[in-house]
Amino acid sequence: MNTVPPSVLSGTGLVKAFGPTVALGGVDLAVGRAEAVAIMGPSGSGKSTLLHCLAGIMRPDRGEVRLLGDRIDDLGERRRSALRRSRFGFVFQFGQLLPELPADENVALPLMLGGTARREAVQAARGWFGPLGLAGLEGRRPGELSGGQAQRVAIARALAPRPAVVFADEPTGALDQATGHDTMRLLVEATKHNGASLVVVTHDPAVAGWCDRTVEVRDGRLLTPFPGAA
Amino acid sequence: MRTVFELSWRLLRGGGRRGMLGSLLTLAAVAVSTGLLLFAVGANHAFAARSAADAWRHPAKTHGTATAIEALNTDYARGRQITVVELAALSGDAPVPPGMKRFPKPGEVWTSPALASLMRTMPADQLSQRFPSRTPTGTLGRSAVVHPDELVAVVGRAASDPALSAGRSDTMIADGVASPTRIDRYATGSQSATAFVYQVLAAIASVLMVVPLLVFGGAAARLTVARRDQRLAALRLVGATPGQVVAVTVAEAVLTAAAGAVLGTVLFAVAMPALTQIPIAGGTWYASDVWPGLWVLPVVLAVPVLVGISAVAGLRRVVVGPLGVARRETPPGLRAVRPLAFLAIVIAFGFLAGGLTSMGRTGLILLLVFLALAFLGINLVGPWIVAIIGRIAAGTARGPARLLAGRRLMDDPRAAWRTVAGVALTGFVAGFLALLNPSSGMLGHGAAADRLEITVPEASAATSAAQARDRLRALPAKVTVERAAKPSHGVRGTDGEGNDEPDGGGNDEPDGTATIRAVVDGGRENVDRARTALTGLIPGHNATTEADSDIGSARLLADLRTGALTVLAVSFLIAITSAGITGASAVLDRRQTYAMLRLAGTPLDVLDKARRQETLIPLLVMGGGSLATGLFFATPFAMGFGSTGALTLVAFVTLGFGGILAASALSRPLLRAVTTNPAPRPD
Repeated sequence: MNTVPPSVLSGTGLVKAFGPTVALGGVDLAVGRAEAVAIMGPSGSGKSTLLHCLAGIMRPDRGEVRLLGDRIDDLGERRRSALRRSRFGFVFQFGQLLPELPADENVALPLMLGGTARREAVQAARGWFGPLGLAGLEGRRPGELSGGQAQRVAIARALAPRPAVVFADEPTGALDQATGHDTMRLLVEATKHNGASLVVVTHDPAVAGWCDRTVEVRDGRLLTPFPGAA
Repeated sequence: MRTVFELSWRLLRGGGRRGMLGSLLTLAAVAVSTGLLLFAVGANHAFAARSAADAWRHPAKTHGTATAIEALNTDYARGRQITVVELAALSGDAPVPPGMKRFPKPGEVWTSPALASLMRTMPADQLSQRFPSRTPTGTLGRSAVVHPDELVAVVGRAASDPALSAGRSDTMIADGVASPTRIDRYATGSQSATAFVYQVLAAIASVLMVVPLLVFGGAAARLTVARRDQRLAALRLVGATPGQVVAVTVAEAVLTAAAGAVLGTVLFAVAMPALTQIPIAGGTWYASDVWPGLWVLPVVLAVPVLVGISAVAGLRRVVVGPLGVARRETPPGLRAVRPLAFLAIVIAFGFLAGGLTSMGRTGLILLLVFLALAFLGINLVGPWIVAIIGRIAAGTARGPARLLAGRRLMDDPRAAWRTVAGVALTGFVAGFLALLNPSSGMLGHGAAADRLEITVPEASAATSAAQARDRLRALPAKVTVERAAKPSHGVRGTDGEGNDEPDGGGNDEPDGTATIRAVVDGGRENVDRARTALTGLIPGHNATTEADSDIGSARLLADLRTGALTVLAVSFLIAITSAGITGASAVLDRRQTYAMLRLAGTPLDVLDKARRQETLIPLLVMGGGSLATGLFFATPFAMGFGSTGALTLVAFVTLGFGGILAASALSRPLLRAVTTNPAPRPD
């Protein structure tokens, strides 16, 4: 009998290989509700592959991924795509904002993709600007925003569809230390405030320090954080 | 330099299957461009060669001592034109005509090969009896004949021959008639207005084809570069200097383009036999005229250079933003001067249009200028309208695809315009041609082909008519005389200066003329017999029918159509291919954003729909607009909107939209490829 409260997102026995290269060699990871987990590891360790498998971007060769108890790794591309835009949010290092769209429409886009009418979607999107310190920048285009501002718009974009899990891949990679610090704080706080879990891939211990828990990946396997934990 | 080329060659070979595919695409694009470029150059070369071959027949008045007399006339047989040049020596050093070994003696007839064979096959009383000698004395060489099917005769006469003292008066075909003129050498360059018009039209057609071709070639070159940036980053990492990186890329593009240029030349050479069979101005072509000769070299050299320049320009874009951070700001609005310029052109044309047809040659030149201006105007107003369309689309969008498309149009209206410009400009041509439809009116059907007419001085009308009756007595012909019924009709003298040369013959006065008319029964054979019988009745004048004078104009219109269809076909080919290439290169340019969107769960359909809309919406508006502009510019010359016109329009709409849709569908697999595996690189 499993008495542990069900995790929001879990991966069990995840194996993924690219040709002869084994990126994941059997990884187990569970993320609790509103928990922030950092995945750390050197380059090539497989941490991004782990994130992609958990987020339904890639299908693992073996093992399973569950969201709120339901398997998602065996879904078709279309269903996984729908899942990604409704239940997950994404923050990347750069490039996820469309340069020709003003900030508010960038945030509204995932809502519109989910079927929300444009007026409501933009209205809802603008609601995120004040709390994230972006008031007044609604009509700016990404090229007219600073790096930190652009990342905060990206955070609003990730949170707007009220996802269960937010995935962030080196979210501060393109920012200076102070701005990265602020951005990370905002990401963790806003995600928790909205009841979403957070999975951050990073090689920066300072970024990982903002999370509740850190797991380390080496050569496609998790290093056990403390001995004895199975 | 050697290492650069070696490295480029290695990269080219080692690029993997997808890299090779890209190089092959570029190769094919450059080959097609080069082939079409050579076609454009070859067409101009060919028209220039024809014009040069025609020049000597138009006598140029001497300013020194005259050594010969030259006259030009046009005769008809079997519904075809025969050019007759009459020559008489005034002294021993009369200039030897092109294509002949010596100056023709009185009574000799030298003919083009086509006329010689026609003289052999037609009964003598229908054709060869018109000449002083029934069998040709000699064959005219290549340099005296405009095209292989041309019928030309050079008739030698004595200087005292009445045919060389009588002025020519039939101005209906001013290019085919010239009064006897004292010459000391033959004219060169471009002498006849028709040849000039053909050369101008060929030049315009070339511009219409070459401009989009260059844009197309540039896009192809940028496509190569866009694929390379990742590999370039790798080269930089291993320590290549920016200069080396640029050199390697450009060398790669130039290598591909050089191969493409050579391939294109081969393609053109292979297509030549078919191209020489396109009949223009009454005949097919000499291969040596269509082959641009030494011009091939600069074209084949220029293409790789242009591709290299384009590659450098494309590379600069990649180098400027190495992090891929799009530093894009709200673009400044396009200035209102664009639509104003376009409106000014349209309004100016509206004012002038009515008078154009009555202005003759000036009118033609004005029309050509206005056509060029219209193209320029459409090109100016295009991006401006695209930006407005984008604003409207983005403002009214309900769904994400329309919103993306609209914002993208607003963001870079020039780029969006480039994708559709080719088809939109082709729309202008199609609209213009739809009204210019020779089969729908005007031509030939009503013109009598059995009524021969010849203009004579009124005083001698009765005598001449009697002689005509006598000559035609064996034929079922009825001869009548009509006195100066139409004083304005055609009896104006050749050129103002040709009239007083050399005899000042009184029969060129506008009044005091009569028309002898012979209605001949029994079809074309009997008409040709009558022509032959009437030859020499009035020295320097042939009996012609109304249908004869229509041959020239019908031919010009048919040629306009052939030429326009060629331009239309070529520009469609370029427009659609370039839309495909631009589409592919847009996907490649934005592959990171597409990948991110896809990763965040944006369905491929939405991305594809947005992409399609940002092409189709402006195409719909601009294609329609250009079509309407083309129709407007053709209204002064409208010959009625017949079924051919409707067909042109339907074909344009079908081909334009079908082609663009197909071209856009071609880059869908590419879109899928760049987004399917959004994170192929571990970490």
